[in-house]
Amino acid sequence: MLKIWSCVRKELLLLFRDRAGLLVIFLMPVVLVIIVTLVQENVLKSMGETKIQVLFLDRDLSEVGRQMEETVRKSDAVIIVKEIAGKQIDVEWAKLAVAKGNFQCAVVIPEGTTKAFKKKAREAVENSLSASSAKARVRKERPRDEAPRFLIYFDPALSETLRLGLASLFEKVSMDIEMKEKMRVFSEVLPVHLTAAAKKAMGPLWSEETRKMVPSARIEWDNTPIIVVEEKTAQYGAPVLRPNTVQQNVPAWTLFGMFFIVVPLAGSLIRERQTGMLTRLFVMPLSYLAMISGKIVSFVIICMVQFALIMAIGRFVLPIFGAPVLNVGSSPAALVLIAVSAGLAASGYGILLGTVARTYEQASMFGAVSVVICAALGGIMVPVYVMPKVMQSISILSPLSWGLRAFQEVFVRGGTVRSVLPDTLLMLLFFVTTTLIAWFYMSQRGRTRIQ
Amino acid sequence: MNEAGICRGETLITDHLVKVYRGAGRPALNELTLSIGEGQIFGLLGPNGAGKTTAISVMNTFLKPTSGSVTICGIDAVKYPRHAKKLIGYVPQDIALYPDLSVRENLGFFGRIYGLRGKELEQRIVECAEFVGLEGNLDQRVFTLSGGMKRRANLAAGLIHEPKVLFLDEPTVGIDPQSRNLILERLATLKDKTTMVYTTHYMREAELLCSHVVIMDTGEIIAEGTPEDLLSRDPSSTNLEELFITLTGKQLRD
Repeated sequence: MLKIWSCVRKELLLLFRDRAGLLVIFLMPVVLVIIVTLVQENVLKSMGETKIQVLFLDRDLSEVGRQMEETVRKSDAVIIVKEIAGKQIDVEWAKLAVAKGNFQCAVVIPEGTTKAFKKKAREAVENSLSASSAKARVRKERPRDEAPRFLIYFDPALSETLRLGLASLFEKVSMDIEMKEKMRVFSEVLPVHLTAAAKKAMGPLWSEETRKMVPSARIEWDNTPIIVVEEKTAQYGAPVLRPNTVQQNVPAWTLFGMFFIVVPLAGSLIRERQTGMLTRLFVMPLSYLAMISGKIVSFVIICMVQFALIMAIGRFVLPIFGAPVLNVGSSPAALVLIAVSAGLAASGYGILLGTVARTYEQASMFGAVSVVICAALGGIMVPVYVMPKVMQSISILSPLSWGLRAFQEVFVRGGTVRSVLPDTLLMLLFFVTTTLIAWFYMSQRGRTRIQ
Repeated sequence: MNEAGICRGETLITDHLVKVYRGAGRPALNELTLSIGEGQIFGLLGPNGAGKTTAISVMNTFLKPTSGSVTICGIDAVKYPRHAKKLIGYVPQDIALYPDLSVRENLGFFGRIYGLRGKELEQRIVECAEFVGLEGNLDQRVFTLSGGMKRRANLAAGLIHEPKVLFLDEPTVGIDPQSRNLILERLATLKDKTTMVYTTHYMREAELLCSHVVIMDTGEIIAEGTPEDLLSRDPSSTNLEELFITLTGKQLRD
């Protein structure tokens, strides 16, 4: 045990004197977590959290345009722009402005829309009420006027999600207007039809008194919704938080930083081999296990410091720049378990890399590239759920994805030690496997005696 | 080894040592049998590829022999390397020190691996530094030392635990005459308590320092004895270097 502690002490001393190594270990993940979180925070805001400016060109200047404007204005997502610098907007100018990305969307309500719309609404109601009559059948066979159209121009760079959102907003608004108009016409036409039908049925019994008995439909409808759509987030156990850029990026880049220790760790092994230090150590009463344990313990300590540092940044530094405060869940024990498992997995990989690679250049190049690939696959840069199906199935092979999933379990789903066990066990298995392969490779090299 | 920790008689014995590297056509060591008495400074000489470093690596437990045995102070070093390692000191050809640690930190680390602690360790660090003339440089980081100072620090690291047997693999390569002279002088003073196995390409060094010399080539011993004995066997050679060339030939070795 004392020998392992001597190795730990030596490794920590060497690490703290290696300025380039310290930059890779601490500064890089800190800078990455701050920059990526703030950049993504801004992107997300532009994708829905801030209002979208919509050019609104009402050439109809009548009921439909007014209703459309009034209903859209009620939406939190949209700001209506009707004129620029006090001047009315030209349709061609609006199309160009949207095409250039100066505005995300332009809505054009052509002249005569209200007139055409009212005519279509009346036609539709009349058709419905007289559906069975021969007169109506004849009317149906007549060529119909084309339905009035709203024109919506979208910025080509607008995200598909946002485009669909805006389109469905305008569709909903137009459906509301259509429904109201149809109901208005219906309430106007229905009593006429009923009166005519009753008069025909009663014949000589029809009088002014019976006419008063025909019910009139209400024009003003009760706006209380009949069906309420209630939004809730599915959860089990503790209350669930809505994932945000901080909840995604802080654990993601913590893991990235942790796994980047493979470069200095592999480098230290290679340097010891190249300088003859490993030979000297093998001639000393120091087992391979103790030597490797010393490295693993010291690098896991480093990982824990990284973890604490980046968590503190999520908690105290990012909010200064306007990002949400990191919520670390309610199970510190689970977080420590994940961090230690991730540190061990990274150390195991570093030991394997340092054993197999022949030169420092090989180890640093392969180590860095492989960690970046595993990070990309593991959902560090882009969440796994937005990846294509093929990539999602590959991503389960990345140890970083196990770590991230476990962190998200605690941060977002209120997970506990028990619920993160499967992912932490995977990371521990990865550690054991990589270390055993390194040991096997070392012993098969045939030059050294491993004890 | 007796209860006082002193080896009596033969300190290091190798018996028909053979080492064949995987894929190699011929053995790097072929039936090497040596008997090195207590306090001897045993010179292992030979051209490049003669098997000197392999011999040292097998004797110091770094390599497992293909066959044969190594006994250090009565301990079978092939069967019980962990026990043997405590008795062994090793000064490799390379400067096997951590450049970013100071001399004190390096010696401290090696001392702790041998079980030294506290005041005893501090005392040994100072003694070893004084022994190699680095007492004024203890807190200097190794990468800032001159080549000669690094060599001396390398030697000090091999002595920190007062080994019974010290293996020195070309410990004076690439240093100035002053540092070389100091190392040789100091090594000569160790022979009362430490048996040394010394490899070098400097024949003059071996002639001055070694009490017994073995000249190897192609993994085998081609001459053995005290420097005086060896020279007396070949009157045409006036020094060890001439004898060495006579025995191993003038052909270049890679």
